[in-house]
Amino acid sequence: MAGYFSNIQETVTSIFEGMSITFSHFVRRPYTVQYPDRIPIPIQDTLPFRYRGILEVDLEICTGCLACERACPIDCIVIEAKKDKQTKAMMLNRFDIDIAKCMYCGLCSEPCPTGSIHHTSQFEGADYSLESMLRRFVKTPVAAYKPSKGPETDPEIVPFLDRGLRYLDDFAKPGGSSEPGEADAS
Amino acid sequence: MSLGGFDVQVLRENGFATEEMTLNMGPQHPSTHGVLRFVVRADGEVMTEAVPDVGYLHRSIEKIAEKVGYHGFMPYTDRVDYVAAMPCNQGWAMVCEKLAGIEVPRRAEYCRVIACEFNRISSHLIAVGTMGMDIGAFTPFTHALREREHINDLLEELCGARLTFNYMRIGGVAWDLPPDFAEKGLAYIDRFEPLIDEYNALISFNKIYKERLINVAVITGEEAINYNLVGPNLRGSGVDFDVRRDIPYSIYPELQFDVPVGHGEEGTLGDCFDRYMVRIREIQESCKIIRQCLQQIPEGSVLAKIPRKFKPPVGDAYVRIESARGDMGWYCVSDGSEYPYRVKVRTGSFTATSIIEQVSRGLMIADLITVVASFDLVAPEIDR
Repeated sequence: MAGYFSNIQETVTSIFEGMSITFSHFVRRPYTVQYPDRIPIPIQDTLPFRYRGILEVDLEICTGCLACERACPIDCIVIEAKKDKQTKAMMLNRFDIDIAKCMYCGLCSEPCPTGSIHHTSQFEGADYSLESMLRRFVKTPVAAYKPSKGPETDPEIVPFLDRGLRYLDDFAKPGGSSEPGEADAS
Repeated sequence: MSLGGFDVQVLRENGFATEEMTLNMGPQHPSTHGVLRFVVRADGEVMTEAVPDVGYLHRSIEKIAEKVGYHGFMPYTDRVDYVAAMPCNQGWAMVCEKLAGIEVPRRAEYCRVIACEFNRISSHLIAVGTMGMDIGAFTPFTHALREREHINDLLEELCGARLTFNYMRIGGVAWDLPPDFAEKGLAYIDRFEPLIDEYNALISFNKIYKERLINVAVITGEEAINYNLVGPNLRGSGVDFDVRRDIPYSIYPELQFDVPVGHGEEGTLGDCFDRYMVRIREIQESCKIIRQCLQQIPEGSVLAKIPRKFKPPVGDAYVRIESARGDMGWYCVSDGSEYPYRVKVRTGSFTATSIIEQVSRGLMIADLITVVASFDLVAPEIDR
């Protein structure tokens, strides 16, 4: 009989103990964020620099080296690059990324020599058809970027290259003395 | 047979015509933690049998490894156990390093342990949070998930993703800690540790909650070893074994931490409450480990020089790591080519599934939910 009443007593006290914590949250600062319409700044601007959102390619600084295509484990990147016989320039005929297949692993942006392929902070990619998930970056065939020996001078390319190299420094290359294994051992 | 004052046998003898019914629980069921199905044979409320039916989340990850190569398989290891992806990353990186004999930089080992322990906390928070939710207490779940969000934010700063991290690489980690990570991490741990006591007061020592867990699904230490339980499930039965301490890897031998073991504090040793409390205590131990690591992390590089075409020599390797769900085994056979010849992942959830049939005999149907939650099953880890 004593056990019966002590059980009731323990139940009631432990419930009140838990309830006091629950009620204390009435006076604490709320944690809930009313996404997406009642936030002070767009959520994309609050994401950390390393955030791996939807992939984007700056064709201006793409060298057509196909390193990203080889690195992709699910082959969602398809690149067609050919040497033009007359001008001897590398021409990019196709640069497709299937966003529906992409798993945002970031393996493609690590070997990129110029930071052309990079993750953005965009993540809202819902769409009505699968075809629209296939991002075609090459509308008409363009010449691939050819790195110049000295510092880049073309004013149209400099901002892209600056962004790309900053991206490489902060994202693709880890801090510290050693670089990730860029060299092909084969 | 008597359960909660409800005597099934008496009803039968009084002339009631009863028959066992076969119920289907799952594959889509909110309490089975993923796509997991149970075929339950029940006599009224009392189960005579609950047979787990696995395979609904099989994605042949082991076979994928043979097609994508050593570097390309790293993002897939996130999907082996998405609640605790960091230890899976570490397991794959470690088995490749063992195959090729690669020395990992010291700073990278610290980064790995910090990331893994943060992930262990977030995984255990899910475990203890859903435990409450499955039983019917929704509030603790929101408390646990709130704290997990902060860990996700930290890990997002570290590696750019909240769930499928792809943080580690063969030979180290992909990115160094962000500049202010140590301060943020320590500040979080300082704020988080008192909240564990608040969480305990909120739910762990609630009488109704305890009544649902104590003496339910008791597994003796011998049984746990026979059924190959690992991790918190094994330690909940009083077996003092932790891969981090007993088969040391990485920098764990240099760190000071205890291995919490269940000791039947409220009821029988090895019941659901013991397994639950082991997880709560492991969160505290992980906080200790993170604090030590963030304080004594050395300078240096975080990635060894690894060729992009990674070809380990012919041979095989097996590593054991302590994932959030216990001893996780990674086995890899190399034939000297760019692609692994065979990969095998041994996970804790799969072995825990095998004992459910045995322990659920004679329990109420509602207790099956408790049992599943107390084992912290993650369905993708069962099937891979």
